[in-house]
Amino acid sequence: MSLTKIVDRIRTAQSKFNIFTSHITTPPLATASKGGPLSNRTAAIKDNIVTKDFPTTCASNILKDYTSPFDATVVSLLKDAGAVTIGKTNLDEFGMGSLGMHTIFNPVKNPLNTDWCIGGSSSGSAAAVASGVADFSLGTDTGGSVRLPSAYSSIIGFKPSYGRISRWGVVAFAQSLDTVGIMARDIDTVAKVYDVLDKYDRRDPTSLSQNLRDELEKKASRMSRTKPNIGIPQEFIQGELSPEIKESFLKYIDSLLQKGYDIYPVSIPSIKDALSVYYTLAPAEAASNLARYDGVRYGTKDPETADIVDDKFFNAARSNFGPEVKNRIILGNYNLCSDGYKNNFIKAQKLRVQMINQFDRLFPFENVLTRNKPVEDIDIIICPTNLMPPPLTKSVSQTEKKNPLHEYMNDIYTIPMSLAGLPTISFPLSSGKPWGVQIATQYGNDKALLDFVKANSA
Amino acid sequence: MLRGNYRILSRVARRHASSNTLSSKYELTCGLEIHTQLNTKNKLFSMSSNKSFESLAHPNINASYFDVALPGTQPVLNYEAVLFAAKLAVSLHGTVNINSQFDRKHYFYGDQPQGYQITQHYHPFSKGGYIMLSKEFDGIDQDLSKINITQLQIEQDTARSSYLHQSLIEGREEALIDFNRSNVPLIELVTEPDFHDVKQVKAFIKKYQNLVRQLHISTGDLETGSIRVDVNVSVNEHPRVELKNLPNTSSILNAIKYEYKRQVEVLEGGSLGGSKAVETRGWDGEKTTLLRSKESAVDYRYMADPELPPVTLSPDVLVNVKKSLTQSADDCIRELMAEPYNLTLKDAKILTIQNDFNDLYNNEEVRQYYLETFNIYMLLLKDDNKKKPKIIVSWILHELLGNLKKLEIPLKKLNENMLPPELFAELLVLIHKQIISNSSAKMLLFHILEEFKANDCVKVENLDFKALIKKYDLEVQTDVSKTELEQNCRDIITELNNPKMIDDIKSGKKKNSLKYLVGLGMRKYQGKIKVQELENMFKQILELE
Repeated sequence: MSLTKIVDRIRTAQSKFNIFTSHITTPPLATASKGGPLSNRTAAIKDNIVTKDFPTTCASNILKDYTSPFDATVVSLLKDAGAVTIGKTNLDEFGMGSLGMHTIFNPVKNPLNTDWCIGGSSSGSAAAVASGVADFSLGTDTGGSVRLPSAYSSIIGFKPSYGRISRWGVVAFAQSLDTVGIMARDIDTVAKVYDVLDKYDRRDPTSLSQNLRDELEKKASRMSRTKPNIGIPQEFIQGELSPEIKESFLKYIDSLLQKGYDIYPVSIPSIKDALSVYYTLAPAEAASNLARYDGVRYGTKDPETADIVDDKFFNAARSNFGPEVKNRIILGNYNLCSDGYKNNFIKAQKLRVQMINQFDRLFPFENVLTRNKPVEDIDIIICPTNLMPPPLTKSVSQTEKKNPLHEYMNDIYTIPMSLAGLPTISFPLSSGKPWGVQIATQYGNDKALLDFVKANSA
Repeated sequence: MLRGNYRILSRVARRHASSNTLSSKYELTCGLEIHTQLNTKNKLFSMSSNKSFESLAHPNINASYFDVALPGTQPVLNYEAVLFAAKLAVSLHGTVNINSQFDRKHYFYGDQPQGYQITQHYHPFSKGGYIMLSKEFDGIDQDLSKINITQLQIEQDTARSSYLHQSLIEGREEALIDFNRSNVPLIELVTEPDFHDVKQVKAFIKKYQNLVRQLHISTGDLETGSIRVDVNVSVNEHPRVELKNLPNTSSILNAIKYEYKRQVEVLEGGSLGGSKAVETRGWDGEKTTLLRSKESAVDYRYMADPELPPVTLSPDVLVNVKKSLTQSADDCIRELMAEPYNLTLKDAKILTIQNDFNDLYNNEEVRQYYLETFNIYMLLLKDDNKKKPKIIVSWILHELLGNLKKLEIPLKKLNENMLPPELFAELLVLIHKQIISNSSAKMLLFHILEEFKANDCVKVENLDFKALIKKYDLEVQTDVSKTELEQNCRDIITELNNPKMIDDIKSGKKKNSLKYLVGLGMRKYQGKIKVQELENMFKQILELE
C-alpha cells in the first residue's frame, strides 16, 4: 500500500469503523531502503501493547492519558524489521470481553457488516486488517481474543505457543494465558511477521528459553510429516453449533479427506471444564494485575477525595474501571479469598494441568514443558472457532445486561488451547463469511502449524 | 517525586511503662519475624542498583520501570538473592526447598506500586533450622536455649514513604514516595514462639545480626532499617499480639516489657487498657498502641505468581554453598579460646563478632591479621620456651587498632603497603627478646604509622625494625654499669621525696608502688634498659626480698 495515501485511508476507515484509539496524522517515512523483512508494511497495534509514539490506554479511563516511556519488545522488533506502525487499536477494556463492546471509545464496527459485532477483545486489530487499512496487526489472545474477532471479520488470526513471542510491554490481563497474536489477510504475511517476533526475550520471565527453542527446531525438522494425521476432538462438536457453520466445517473436513489426509475422532474430556477453569483463573490474575491502578500513579484521581476513606484505599480512583472489568475484579478477588482459594483457584489449576495432560497424550511431538509421554499419533487438531455467527450489536447490550455469562459462551472453542498454551490459527472457512476454523498443534510446533495452513487454507 | 494523601494516626498521650520484671505466675511467649535487606548488587526482580541507603538523598534514582510497576513490565529473578538466601538457610541448619515459589500478597498502600508484594507464602525458600543461644557466649540466663526457625522466604521490599507534616490540610497530609527501596530483596525469617524472656530476644537479634554480617549478605543494621523486627507476644492464655514499627533493639525490648505488663493487666482485669484480642500494636517510645484489630485485618488473597517460574536449585548448589561457608561464630570463639591461642572470651568475641563499626577495619580482617601474626610469631620463637603469645592479641587490639583509629589508617592499607603480619611478628619478637623495650616499641610503632599516614599510605619497601631501632637509638643497653645504675636509682628515690611511699614499699603495704619507681627509672633511661635490671636494683637498695 502506498504510504503517502495512508493517512487519508486511516481517516476514512476510522470514521467508518472506529478502529483506532490513536493513529498517525502525517505520512510516515518509507522504510524500504533499510531492506527489513517487513519494510513498508503497515501495522496496527492493539492498545494494550505499550508504545512510546502513541498513548497506551487499554480502552480504559484509568489509563486514558497514559503514554509509556518504553516500547514493547514486539513494537521494537517490528520497527527494526521495517514495519510502519500506523496506530493503536480499540479493544475491550484491558482485553476483557469477547464482543468488542466494553470500551470507553465506543465499539468497533465490523467491516464485513457494520450491524454485526466484530468480536473481542482485539476488535480494532481485526477491523484494521479486515478493512484493508493495515497489512497486519497485533492483538493479544488470553482466551480467544485474537481468534474470535478474526473469525467474525473473516481474516486469519494466529495465537502462537505461549512464550514464543515476548510479553515485555504487553499490559497484563492474565499472564499465565496472555499471548501476543498476529492478524492478517493472508497466511504468508502471518508467517513473515511471526518470523520477526519469534525471539527469546530475557525481560519476559515466561519467554521460551533459547535452549528449548533450539530443541524444538531440531525436533520439528526430524518429525515433519508431509501428510500429518488430523484429529477432531469430539467435545468440540457441540449441539449448539449453528447449522451454517457446521455445514462449512464439514465441507472443509471433506476437502481434507479428498486430499488424502487421515482424520480421527479424538477425545479431550477436560474440555468440558475449560470455561469454568478459565473464568476462575483469568479473573483472579486480572484482579491481581489491575491492583496497581490505584489512582496514585495512573489515571484520573478525584482531587477532592482522599486516598483513604473509612480505612479503604483508593476507592474513588478505582471507580474509573468499566463495568465488565469491575465484574471480573470482584469475581477474581472472590476466587482469591483465603476461604475459597483452595476450592476455587487451586482446583482450577489442577484441572488445567489435567487438560494439558490430555492434550499431551494425542501428539507424538513431545511437550517440552511437561515432558509427558505421547500415546496417540495425532499431529493436528481441528475445530470451529465460533459457535455462532457474530451477534448483532444492537441486541448485545440487551442480553448482556440480563446475563453477562452469555458473552462468556463465545469463548468456548478458543479457551482450551489458551489454557494449554497451544499454537492455534483461525482462518475463514469461506471468504466473507463471519466464521472460522481453528487448527492447533502441540506446544512449540508452530512452524508445522503454519505449513499445514499454508497448504490447506480454505 | 510522586505524591499521595494519607491520613496519619494522631499521637496519643504518653504513659510510662514502669516495672520491667516478669512474674513467674505469667509466662511470656514471643516469636519474631525478622525482615533482612540483602545487599545484592541489583534489586530482586530488576536490574536497578540496590543502594537504598546511599541514595537516600537522591530519591527515585534507582527506580526502573518495573520498580514503579509500569504497565507491561515483568519481574526477572536475581539469582544473587537466591544464593544469599541459601547461605543464610544453610547456616541456620534449615531445609532448603529446591523448588520454592513466589506468591503475590495483595494490599493497597501508596508505597506498594503493584498493589501486591511478591513473596513466598505457599512454598517458602526454606523450612526449619535453629539458632542456639548459650549463657557462655550470649549472656542468657539458661545454659542453652534453642530458638527454632519456622521458615525463610524471599520477598520484595516496598518503596519508602515520607510524610510531609507541614502540608497538613484538613486532617490530610501529603506523602512523598521514594522508589529506591522498592523491590530491594528481603528475607523474612519467622521463628517459632520459643522466647520466654527478653534476654533471649536480645541475644537472638544480636547473634542473627552477626550472622548476616559474617555471611556478607546484609549490613545487619536495625537503625537504618536494613533489619526490621516484628514481635509476636502472648502472656499465658492472652491471644497473640503482633508488635510492629520497632526501630531499634531498645524499642524492641521495651515494647515487649510493656506489652507483657499490659497483657498481665488485661488478664487480671486491670486498667491499663485493651481487650483480650488478637491485634497488631505499634510502639510510640513509651507504650504499645493499637494499630488494627483482627476484625479490620486484610485478607491478603495470596496467589501463586502466574509469571515467575519456580526457584529451582540443584542439590550441587547447596553442597557448594555449604562448602563456602566459614565456621559459625560460636565455633570460632571456641577455637580462639582453646590451644594454642588461649584468648579470653572477651578478646575472642572482639575478633569474631563485629561490634566496632568503622571504615578502617572489620573483625574479620583483624582476626586474619591476628592469626597470621600469631603463626609467624610462634614459628620465629619455636625453640623459645619462654615465649608469651598473649602479647600478640593485646598489641593488636590495643596498640595497633588504637593507632589506626587515631591516624585513620585502614588495616587493609597497612597490611598491603607497610606492616604485613610477618613484619609485625618480627617487632613482637624483638620486644620478647628485650632488644627493644615495650615502651620504646610503642613509640616506634606510632612514629612509623604517623609517617606512613603523612605519605598517604604509599608503599613502604624494606621496613627493617632492627635498622630503625638503631637509627633512633632505642636499643636496650645491656652493658649498664652497676654503680651508675645504683646512683641513678638512689637519685630517683631522693628526687621523689616521698618517705611515706618508700616506707610503705619496705613494709610491704604497697608493693605496687615499686612499679612506679621502675617506671621512673625507665623514663630516666628512655626505655633503653631492661625492666628486670631496674627492679632488681630498687629491691637491693630498699632491702626487699
